[in-house]
Amino acid sequence: MGTFKTENPGNQPVWVNTNNCKACDICVSVCPAGVLGMKYESTSTLGAMISIDHPESCIGCNECELTCPDFAIYVADKKEYKFAKLTDDAKARQAAIVANNYMSLSEQGVK
Amino acid sequence: MAFNYDSYLRLEKMPTLWCWGCGDGVILKAFIRAINKMGIDQNDVCVVSGIGCSGRFSSYVDFNTVHTTHGRTVAYATGIKLSRPDKLVVCVAGDGDALAIGGNHTIHGCRRNIDMTMIVINNFIYGLTNSQTSPTTPKGMWTVSQKAGNIDPTFDTCKLAIASGASFVARETMLDPKKLEKMLIKAMEHKGFSMMEVLSNCHINLGRKNKMVSAMENLEWIDSITVSKKKYDAMTPEEQLNLLPTGILKQDTEADEYCDMYAEIQKVHQGKRSKITQDDFEKKI
Amino acid sequence: MATREIISTGNELAAIAAVDAGCKFFGGYPLTPSSEVMHVISDLLPKVNGVAIQMEDEIGGICAVIGAAMAGDRALTATSGPGMSLKAEQLGLAQMTEVPLVCVNVMRGGPSTGLPTRVSQGDILQSKNPSHGDYKSITFCAGSLAECYTEVVRAFNVADRFMQPVIVLLDETIGHMHGKAELPTLEEVQAGIVPRKTFDGPAEEYFPYQCESDEPAVLNPMFEGYRYHFTGLHHDKNGFPTEEIETCRKLIQRLEDKVALHEDEVESYEEFMMDDAEFMMIAYGSVSLAAKEAIRHLRAEGIKAGLFRPITIWPSPAEKIKEYTDKIDKVLVVELNIGQFHSEVQRASSRLDIDGLFKVNGRPLSPHEIVNKVKEIL
Repeated sequence: MGTFKTENPGNQPVWVNTNNCKACDICVSVCPAGVLGMKYESTSTLGAMISIDHPESCIGCNECELTCPDFAIYVADKKEYKFAKLTDDAKARQAAIVANNYMSLSEQGVK
Repeated sequence: MAFNYDSYLRLEKMPTLWCWGCGDGVILKAFIRAINKMGIDQNDVCVVSGIGCSGRFSSYVDFNTVHTTHGRTVAYATGIKLSRPDKLVVCVAGDGDALAIGGNHTIHGCRRNIDMTMIVINNFIYGLTNSQTSPTTPKGMWTVSQKAGNIDPTFDTCKLAIASGASFVARETMLDPKKLEKMLIKAMEHKGFSMMEVLSNCHINLGRKNKMVSAMENLEWIDSITVSKKKYDAMTPEEQLNLLPTGILKQDTEADEYCDMYAEIQKVHQGKRSKITQDDFEKKI
Repeated sequence: MATREIISTGNELAAIAAVDAGCKFFGGYPLTPSSEVMHVISDLLPKVNGVAIQMEDEIGGICAVIGAAMAGDRALTATSGPGMSLKAEQLGLAQMTEVPLVCVNVMRGGPSTGLPTRVSQGDILQSKNPSHGDYKSITFCAGSLAECYTEVVRAFNVADRFMQPVIVLLDETIGHMHGKAELPTLEEVQAGIVPRKTFDGPAEEYFPYQCESDEPAVLNPMFEGYRYHFTGLHHDKNGFPTEEIETCRKLIQRLEDKVALHEDEVESYEEFMMDDAEFMMIAYGSVSLAAKEAIRHLRAEGIKAGLFRPITIWPSPAEKIKEYTDKIDKVLVVELNIGQFHSEVQRASSRLDIDGLFKVNGRPLSPHEIVNKVKEIL
């Protein structure tokens, strides 16, 4: 049974429901700001799990939530959270994450 | 607060059985947001789905739902709609369901212009049953039933719908879920048969054996074969080859809708108006 | 008991019966010799705010009917042998989802295109299992003009009682036969309408497919605040697909038991001059009319013949048949096929010496032919 976590766990810009995540990488690929990355997790689908590495860079564009097929990621309402602006550093980090096959920069190797 | 899908879902059925990264989930979410924006009561919605991965759509949403046999969504929906013409009836079918075995019913649903929306989730393959050729599988691709390469020519769902008489025909992809949501609203608000083709990715079946292993590669491929209607219309026939236009391809708000016409028939039989003859129509044949 | 007289054909009476019994939807396709049912009902239904639609094919016809029945309407389709073959898959879905409907089959010469304008009774075995898988068919056979009306009325009530399709067999002879029928009054028919059971408690406590092991599902009409799922897959109490071992076993057993343990509610047959019969004929449909006439001739010559006429063909009146075949030596099954019900009589009686008079060339049997066969046997 899938439990849903549409409640903000505590003043976060973006949060995940790891029960539902199937590690498809799509959210990581569409984030403009390098907020997300996959981490190795031996007990889950495809051996990986979504991780919110840089919430402070989240600009609230909602692309991750819109493109997630599995109700696994949620973004705060603009009225409730003050999102960051997109910086060049964030963009560069995102490019690096994509080049790292969507894995968090802290993880070694390819999936 | 993030958009709350919970009240529209049968939570005990989650997570979905679709593969990781399958476009079906994105389309499901866009559909729920569309219904929510339209403000329609869940009790007034009926979703009829066919067989295939997209066929599981109906079991996840908390509406009046029907999971039919292969290819028959429009026929079942016709009975439901004629029985309760004031309700919202939506068909969800895959490319095989709608165009192969269900081709005849799809054509006649369009022809009657009966008020319902048909969402054809076209992932260019028979996904659930492991990669058989569908009427939209591109020529030359590898499928389990044509391992030497697909030689079957393809169907253009939207051209078929337009030729059959549907009064609203549109195509989108699941690459831009917000745009898809808006288009779904337009399709469902339109009175008449709305053909809504949504191009989707099947990286597990179509993609993996055709050099597009990840979900993202399939999404890039879909992006590369679609172009907005405006740009498409300005292209030469050579440029148009191998491209599919997206957006509203046909919208006729004047066309007679079938349930309305049948209400007139009921009036004739109850003595409230004269018989319907060819003079009632502009187009007499 | 008040009655009314209507002069009409079997097909037309079937259509009138449906509308009188509260049918609000017809979906079908032209197929000789059943088309007149559609022609007549397409005028009758819109008068009562019902809907009749000629779909693009036979399959579309029954799909629309099942859809309308899911939405809550009493719904009818009419066809002949080739159409039954096409509808088979959907009849299976209606059995699996427990959706009530009535399917009239005006039998004609088969197989395949066969003899479109000529009579046969060749769909008896098909009616027992039109679709793949395990379920229990309920099939009636009209043996007179009046029964073309009364059996269709009964079929709607039985369909709602058992929540499944009910097949009503006519044959080309009776479908096109024109004559006088003595029918129950409209008031009597309407007073006898027993609609499907519905649940009226809170929606959270509603489980459509959670019922006793010999009871049908309780399916509320759509759009009334009770949302659930219809699927042809094996399903749980909400209608959601499942492959769970016990749930699947119980579902199939219940589809069988809901009819098998209540056969007395659908059983129907006629015993014509059987009290002192020494020679039993078994016939149904239009053949029974010739059989009765043959029996009158034989009786006049001192031969004590009688007719056992099944009206409910499936489930078959096996027990009653055995009661007779245990004590009567000479038994003759007369039918317009090559022995379809004959095989059931042999099974029910545990006898392999049951005689048969079979005619398969699209022509009706005359009383004369039956009399001759009886004399040949004696």
